[in-house]
Order: sequence, then structure tokens, then C-alpha cells
Amino acid sequence: MVNLENQIFSSYKRNPVLFDEIFDKNGQVKDVYSKLFTLYGEHSIKDYVNLNEKAKSSFFNQGITFQVYDKKKTEEKIFPFDLFPRIIPPEEWNIIESGAIQRSRALNLFLWDIYHDKKIIRQGIVPMDLISSSANYLDQMNKVDPPGGIYNHISGTDIIKHTDGQYYVLEDNIRCPSGVSYVICNRTALKRALFGVFNHYKTYSVTNYAENLLDLLETVKPKGVDIPNVVVITPGMFNSAFYEHSYLAKTMGVELVEGRDLFVENDFVYMKTIQGPQKVDVIYRRIDDAFIDPLEFKPDSSLGVPGLFAAYKKGNVTLANAPGTGVADDKAVYTYMPEIIRYYLNEEPILNNVHTYHCSRPKELKYVLEHIETLVIKPVDEAGGYGISIGNRLSKKEIEVVKAQILLNPRKYVAQPIMSLSVHPTYIDKTESFEQRHVDLRTFTVLGKDKEFVLKGGLTRVALKRGNLIVNSSQGGGSKDTWVLKT
Amino acid sequence: MLARVANNLFWMGRYIERSEHIARYLRVNYFSSLDAPNQVSQSRQFVLRSMLNMIGDPIEDESIVHSEERVLYKIGLDPNYPSSIINNVRNVRENANSARDLISTELYESINKFYHFISKYDPKVYTKNGLHDFTLNVTEMSAILRGKVRSTLMHDEIYAIIMMGTNIERATQIIRIINAKSNDALKAQGSYGDKFKNSFEWTTLLKCTESYDMMRRYYKKTPSSISTLEFLILNPDCPRSIMNSLNQVFKHMQILDPNTKLDRDSTAFLVAKVKAEYEFKCIIEIEKDIQSVIDTTLDSLYEISQKMEEEFFSY
Repeated sequence: MVNLENQIFSSYKRNPVLFDEIFDKNGQVKDVYSKLFTLYGEHSIKDYVNLNEKAKSSFFNQGITFQVYDKKKTEEKIFPFDLFPRIIPPEEWNIIESGAIQRSRALNLFLWDIYHDKKIIRQGIVPMDLISSSANYLDQMNKVDPPGGIYNHISGTDIIKHTDGQYYVLEDNIRCPSGVSYVICNRTALKRALFGVFNHYKTYSVTNYAENLLDLLETVKPKGVDIPNVVVITPGMFNSAFYEHSYLAKTMGVELVEGRDLFVENDFVYMKTIQGPQKVDVIYRRIDDAFIDPLEFKPDSSLGVPGLFAAYKKGNVTLANAPGTGVADDKAVYTYMPEIIRYYLNEEPILNNVHTYHCSRPKELKYVLEHIETLVIKPVDEAGGYGISIGNRLSKKEIEVVKAQILLNPRKYVAQPIMSLSVHPTYIDKTESFEQRHVDLRTFTVLGKDKEFVLKGGLTRVALKRGNLIVNSSQGGGSKDTWVLKT
Repeated sequence: MLARVANNLFWMGRYIERSEHIARYLRVNYFSSLDAPNQVSQSRQFVLRSMLNMIGDPIEDESIVHSEERVLYKIGLDPNYPSSIINNVRNVRENANSARDLISTELYESINKFYHFISKYDPKVYTKNGLHDFTLNVTEMSAILRGKVRSTLMHDEIYAIIMMGTNIERATQIIRIINAKSNDALKAQGSYGDKFKNSFEWTTLLKCTESYDMMRRYYKKTPSSISTLEFLILNPDCPRSIMNSLNQVFKHMQILDPNTKLDRDSTAFLVAKVKAEYEFKCIIEIEKDIQSVIDTTLDSLYEISQKMEEEFFSY
């Protein structure tokens, strides 16, 4: 236990093995947090109990909720929000920002290449197998030129800080990364609850995301269009991310449509308005590849628009992100990221990659099977934290099950050393105190034609269960407001 | 604006208005009957029947005895009764949800609070002694929503659609309330002169439509059947009258269809036609046959709603 002259932290248990974002190895508060630490210390723990309730009802009344389906009834829940913000100092942010842009650009060039000449494969930098056996590679995208040459308009990069104090990328999400609305809501909620603390720091605003997104989406409009008509397409209000879809449409000032609101005629896309059909030029789609067009992909999809893909291939409409981007956020492709960056950009990677063992390679498979208790095993094609096994948490029996699963389909699995996510003081409802919890960071990068934008903030996700490393909201994670400081 | 979303906003407007009228009808009838001047008006069964009649679930069989608790629960908080207030408010929210990108954050937050207020209301408290509190909150929260609609949305197509819904529904509810109360007036007649004309129920009718004070100021007399009906149907300055609602529908229709030369087959034409009929109606005609005026008004409103659906919402 650290003895601190700060009431709210008096019972804060610091595990010295973990990297704490606020306290250094000796238990001293780091410079960048010192003011915040003092300011928070002026409150009693009772104040936090109250503020926490207020923040919760603020989210609830604003309807920033998701549905949990039970046999008996559906319940509305809020994403847990933590009152203690995470601070990223400018020198660290510069690395994150330039690293995120570098990765997004490299992935975009990689996608262009594998859907066109496949030079990177022919030159033996990555194996053919990586693409030919990927479930997310779309043959239909072969030789298709997306407007503006952009595939991954929006990327969500999941970054952690390891015990060595270095940032590592865990995952690039370039299908339909979500969470950006929570970045903005978290800021609003924290401002409502603890406005006083903002005066003491120069923090970047996060409210400019939508205008930048719209701006960049307009740069990738189809040829021959003057002022593009942009829409956001959602699977509908029962989707768990519906709040975000409506938030983005509202803040960009564009229509939020469902598949049934659109139709295709002569390879042009129209929406059904009260004043008759209106042409649509750019679609920010929050529907997975498989569902966007029943004529081309899943025939029983009722979420998509028949004929949409044909219109896309003709270049009459932009889809963001482009179909088929999933092939590049595959966890197996991830392991080649350093090579991919060097190959296309002729630069050294700015952000670290976690070393990865491919179970498809016999030698590495052998290593994985022998060292399973020191590794994290991940299926390459699952999102949302599903199917992950953490070696040192498994019983002997469970290890055997995992081994058998890997052997059944080695291509499906990769393994990485167990990375320790940094921890951050987090208010815990149950104990009414601040405790260490693991955090990560998802940044949001937008690519346009010759332009890019990274939201100066990001979503700090917290694993609310003690000791838990999986931060996804679907697995009981919460989030924090994230402050990027100005220099 | 998307046709689907326009349809939802139209219905959002209708459900907001509907919840308010139902809640007010419950409250006013229940509480004014407690000290009503005659036996019939004071009877619990009489009041409960009137409530069921207004909500569109009339029970003709006079021998059936209604349980007060059950009727109040059914109309207020029964999730299995489609016309209950709780379902109306749920519909308000569902419709608002799908148009969340179009309506203001402020309006949505108020709708959401309204919904949570209703869904958390304990049915036992409500039927035992919460009727006044519950219904008063419903009417006040609907008034807040109307205020937010007016002051936090651009007065463009979106607003026009919501206002069309609101005013079509208002006219519909007012005419249904007139229907239910004139029925009551037949049963609970006054004690002097023309007994139907002087029934206490006309006063209750005006209170049910929040028009009693306005009416007293205008006529300076005890409400009778003629003055009440004239005021509630024909007076363009009474914000609850059929005439006023039709004027509002007409006004907002012009935002959706600004043509001056109207297509005979358009909604705008139909609205103008119905409005003109009421502009040139006299109370004497109405008095002769109240029932047929009620029926044709309901038919016309239904026709306008159908026409809108055809012209704007379906593809």
C-alpha cells in the first residue's frame, strides 16, 4: 500500500510489477498528472460517489445506451464511464499520431496492391497464403479502383503501453471501427461533472471529428460530382452501435439511412425522400461487407441495397470503408506490418508491433505448443475479443483443449507473448474507491485523397474486472476521457 | 428527408399529442366527478365507462361492473394494451429513435426522460393514489416536448411533418372527447330548461380540453351545448379547436407542398378543401346532428392522414 497524503488515494493498492500511468516506480505522482492529482484530492470519496451517479444518469437520459437482450425483457445499459481522465503528454502523442497515420497509409497501399498487381507477394515479402486463405479477401474487389484511391478511410488503431513504457499496436481495425462517439460523450460527461479541472490543462478538443470526417469523405467523391451527397448507412436502431451511427449523421449534418431507404437504378444510388428520389454519392457504411448487397454477397441480407456493388464498381458511388478491407486487418497480416510499412513507404515503423508466432509455420507452431502458458492465443479472424485464450490463465485441461483447437486448424491461430497493459487509477463502484485497472487506447484515423486526420484524443478503454486484460465493451469494459495535451 | 423517417416523425407528433389528451381526460373526468352536481355524474361506473369510451373501447352492456383499478391500469400503464399511455410514450420514443439524427439533442433527451419516467412508474402507486401525479406529469412532459419541437428544431420540412402529425391528432382527439362527453351529457342531463343543453358535462368537456378558462372569458356565461361546441369546433382562435387545428395543418402543408395551384389529387388540395368546409359551417347545422358532424370530421381527418401516407411516405 502506498501511503499518500491524499484522501481519495489513501487506500490505492499499487502493484509494482505493473506500469502505472500516474505513479512511477517509487510511487511518486508523475509530473504530468500532479496537478490533476491535487485537484482530485480536494474532493472526498463521497463526492465521487455522487458525481459518478450524476454522470451515469447523464448518459442514461441522453439515451447513450445499448440494449442487453434477456429471455424475459430487454434492458437498457450505459457503457461504464470513469471519472478519472487519462492524460497523454505531447511527446508521446506525436509518436502515436504519426505512427497511426503511417500504418493507415501503408495498409491502404497494401490493399491497393493485393487487389491489383500483388507485387508484395510476387516479391516474396508476404506469403500468397496470407490472402488466398483469408475469409475476408473479396475476389469481387479485384482490379476495382475505389474513388480517390482510398480503401481504409476510417481506421481504429488499438494501442497499449507495455511494462517497458513503450507503446505497442495490438490491432488495426479497418472494417467498421466503432467507439468514436464515446470519445466525445466521455468528454461531455466529464465536463458536466468536473468542469473545474479543465482550466488547469491545455487539452485538445475532440469535437472536430465529424467536420473532419465529412471533409475527408468529400475528397473521395465519385468522378464528375460537384457537391457530393454523403449519407451514413446503419443496420438499424436495434444495432448496438446505433447511437454512434445517429450521432455521426447528426454531427456531420447528413442523412442516416437504412438499406431499405436506398435503391439502385442504372447503376446509380438513390434515396427515397419525401420529395422523390435523391442521388447519393458517398456512403459511410456501418454494415459489414457480407450484408451490403444481396445480389453480390449474402443473398438473404435485408440490410443492404441490391445493386449497390455494381454501382460501386462503375465508380458511381463511394463506399467508406471500401469492401474487402477486412483482409488487411486480419491478425495474420498484422504480423507482417513492419515489412509492409518498409516495403511501401520506405520508412521504419514508428509504432512497435507485438512479436507474433504463426501457427501456420511448423517451427513456430511447435514453439507455441510448447510455451502456451506464456502466450496469448488469438483466432485471426474474430473481432470484439472473442475466442482469445490467455496462457497463464488456463488450467491444464483447458490448455489441452486449446492445443487441440490449434492443431485442428493452425492457419486460424496466431500467438503473442503476454503483453501487460498499463494500469490507471479507476473509480470502482463496488468498493467506492480508486483501484488499478488495465487500459488500452483506440485512436481514430481518417484518410482522404492526399489528406489525413487523427482525432487528438481517442478512446481509453478500461477492463473493469480486477486483473482482466480484455477491455472490449462486449466483455464488460468501460472507458475514460482521454486528454491529449498541447505543447 | 427520408420518406421512412418522415413517417416516423409524423407518428411521433401524433403519439405525443395522443398521450397528453388521454392523460388529461383521465384526470379531469375522475376529479371533476368527485363533487359533480348530480348522482349520475358522480357515479364511478359512469366515469370509467366514459374513459373507455374516449379511448375507443366502449362497452355497451350497462350491466357490466368495471373495476376502477383495472380500468385505470389498462389505460395508463398496461404494456399489453396497445392504446395505453405507456405504449403511446413508448411509440413516441421508438419513432424518435429512428430519426435521432434529425431531431435536436434537447428534444431527444426530453423524450427519453419522459419514457423513463413512465416506465419506472409503479403501477400500484398509480392506481392507488398516483392518478393525479401521473397524469399531470404526462401532460406537462408532453407540453415540454411540444415546446422543444417548436424551439429547438428548424421550422423546415421536418418541423412541418411533426406539426402535421400533432395537429391531425389534436383534431382527432378533440372530436373523440366531444363524442364521449356529448354521450355523457345525454345520460347526465342538467336540472333545468333544456336538460341536455345545460348538462354539467359540457363544463367537464371544456376542462378536458383545457379550454374552460378561455371559453369563460369569451362567452362570459355558463357553458351550454351550443356555446361549447361552437367554441371547440369553430372558433379559430381557440388553440384546441378543430378549426384551429385544421388551419395549422393547412399552414404546415404549405411548407411540404408550396405550389399555389394545387393538384386535385394532392394532400394539400384535400386539406384546403376540408378546412374550407369548416370555415363556412354554422353552429346551427352542427347542433341539428352532432353525431354526423363527429363522424364526418373523423372520416376527413383519417382521409388526410391516408393521403399523406400515399403521397409522402410510401414508395
